[in-house]
Amino acid sequence: MDQGTTEPIVRIQNFRMDFGRTTVIHDLSFDIRAGETFGFLGSNGSGKTTTIRALLGIYQPTGGVLHIDGRPFSPEQGSRLGYLPEERGLYKKESVIDVMTYFGRLKGLGKAEAKSWSLEYLERVALADKATTRLDKLSGGQQQKVQLGVTIMNGPELLILDEPTKGFDPVNRRLLMDIIEEQKRAGATVLMVTHQMEEVERLCDRVILLKNGTAEAYGTIPEVQDQFGGTTVRLRYSGDIPASGKYEVTLRERNYAELAVMEGVDEAGILRDLIEAGLTVRGFETSKLSLDDIFLRVYGEAAGGHSSEAADGHHGEAAHGYSGEAA
Amino acid sequence: MAQHNLSTVVSFEIGRTLSKRRFWITTLIVPVIIGIVVALIVAANSSTDSSVASQKDQKFSFSYTDASGIVDPALVQKLGGREAASPTAAIAAVKNGTLDAYFSYPADPAKQATEVYGVDTGVFDNGKYKSVATQVLTLSAQEKVGDTTLTKLVQGDLPVDATTYDSGGRVSAGVAGVIPPLLFLAIFYVVILLLGNQMLTSTLEEKENRVTEMILTTLNPTTLIIGKVISLFVIGIVQMLVFALPVVIGYLFFRSSLNLPSFDLANLQLDPWQMIVGALLLIGGFTLFTGTLVAVGAIMPTAKEAGQIFGIMMALIFVPFYAVTLIVSDPSAFIVQVFTWFPYSAPVTGMLRNGFSSLSPVEAIGLIVEQFVLGIIVLRLAVRLFQYGSVEYSKKVSLSVLRSTRKA
Repeated sequence: MDQGTTEPIVRIQNFRMDFGRTTVIHDLSFDIRAGETFGFLGSNGSGKTTTIRALLGIYQPTGGVLHIDGRPFSPEQGSRLGYLPEERGLYKKESVIDVMTYFGRLKGLGKAEAKSWSLEYLERVALADKATTRLDKLSGGQQQKVQLGVTIMNGPELLILDEPTKGFDPVNRRLLMDIIEEQKRAGATVLMVTHQMEEVERLCDRVILLKNGTAEAYGTIPEVQDQFGGTTVRLRYSGDIPASGKYEVTLRERNYAELAVMEGVDEAGILRDLIEAGLTVRGFETSKLSLDDIFLRVYGEAAGGHSSEAADGHHGEAAHGYSGEAA
Repeated sequence: MAQHNLSTVVSFEIGRTLSKRRFWITTLIVPVIIGIVVALIVAANSSTDSSVASQKDQKFSFSYTDASGIVDPALVQKLGGREAASPTAAIAAVKNGTLDAYFSYPADPAKQATEVYGVDTGVFDNGKYKSVATQVLTLSAQEKVGDTTLTKLVQGDLPVDATTYDSGGRVSAGVAGVIPPLLFLAIFYVVILLLGNQMLTSTLEEKENRVTEMILTTLNPTTLIIGKVISLFVIGIVQMLVFALPVVIGYLFFRSSLNLPSFDLANLQLDPWQMIVGALLLIGGFTLFTGTLVAVGAIMPTAKEAGQIFGIMMALIFVPFYAVTLIVSDPSAFIVQVFTWFPYSAPVTGMLRNGFSSLSPVEAIGLIVEQFVLGIIVLRLAVRLFQYGSVEYSKKVSLSVLRSTRKA
């Protein structure tokens, strides 16, 4: 995975995916640049996991181009990839160290190297005493830590994390975020599927919002915010708000209103117009729509509980791909 | 990398199986049971020998009546018996316990049953009456013939050495030539019965544990499946060696106690053509069954559901034995031809016919080609089913899924 070229590390062009007679992804195109953290957003069933699986060769795409580092992915590239799937698990009847060493070897490490890396990682995540314990004897959170270790083994250049914080308690979530940031600092490119909008705003350079297999929005977070209504004015006032072509009143209460600012209009001009119209302005704040609001606006009720991992319900997403719905 | 990963998969799979206590417990159960059975047989045989010897030497009072005139009274007297005054009195004496046994020899002992009456001395010990009654008649008959050799010939107890020639005028091997190629059939059964279930569940583990996606992004599915098949084969060899151990010990040290026939391996005749055909049918059949079982495992969501298909597969390898007489005596029979060419009964039928020299060279080549071609096709299908079907973790995968995920 050569990060020195201008070619994006991930390139998806005109991707189409059919399951039987149902098209679940329509003409999807986006790319991910080397070194960036990319947020892949969408409600359950919008096609995120299907896209990742097609990108990684687990599904054969019906049409389009899905390239990693300039070519379709093959397991030979797996040594430079860290993939944390949504449906995750490991060999449960084996010991932690045996499983980690096995995956380390599959990723190109020598046996001794894989073992020592694993022991070091287990030490870091406070699981050193569990090295010889069978995986099924660990708690869910401990298994997640082991899985994360397997994902980041051998310093992957591309990390694909499908709902990485799913099932993590706040402490482990913090640990996970630290590790992701660490990998990012080390130069890794991160593709992250998540429903946690605060994580997206904090971590991601660019995002794509997928709905019913098509891109609803794509770009940097400010670009996406601009795309979905741009600026909102929160106004505290007395008097009557005059009608204007510069804004639309989206909320009107006794002494409070929200105005959606039309594209290209200067907010200071709106304030001046309101004062000149005789309005007593006690508060005038401008803000962009949060990603959370945008998510709700795009997916509406269908997104039901998108910010709650517990309600994520992605077993359905993974499982119903063949029943005709988008995964 | 692929080669490196193949050895990694093989060593991981073998290592984790052989390091399991459960594997050794289940593997050692068989030789332990065989050992117990052998010990019981040895003990029983020695007890039977002594019992037979003691029965032979047992003296008990008996009387007889002889309508045939064959029985020699002097001989009976030597054995401790006497002629009865009347059958009714003799039976009454047995009933009240004053006489141990009474034998009533009919006019034609060859066609009519000799009647034996005796005091009950237990199910096993009661056999002595029949033994002595028979012995009296046999020894008396021998005396009448007057020659032990003639007696043996009359009894049909004579050794025969047969030499037969095939169409090329060569001496045919007989049983000594049938055994070596049939060994491939024995190996096929052992391998499929021992490893079939493991083949079936080999990829189910990845599916049930949700490891598939992690694996498929680090490893070529073909490498994984070939690695698993190789490791299963090695594990099967280990199991066979463990199972064979008590057999070898029994043959070497307890042959006579176990009444095992003495084989002179030098008598076995190896026909190169039959051996090559047998080996190729074994490998081809193994490939076909392995591919099929792995494919079934990739389709089914759980081991329980896959187990139902496994039962059918196992039945298919035993079905030809329902027609084994026809397979040996009339290979051109319709049912034999069906079993010969139906892919899943073909290995067993083919190896049987090969053993009994009723598989023509054309049929042999056809069968070998069929098994290898189908085996490779099914293995490729199994890889594809695993690759594109096993991420359907909780669902049964249909073949239409594969069609819909093919590249446009």
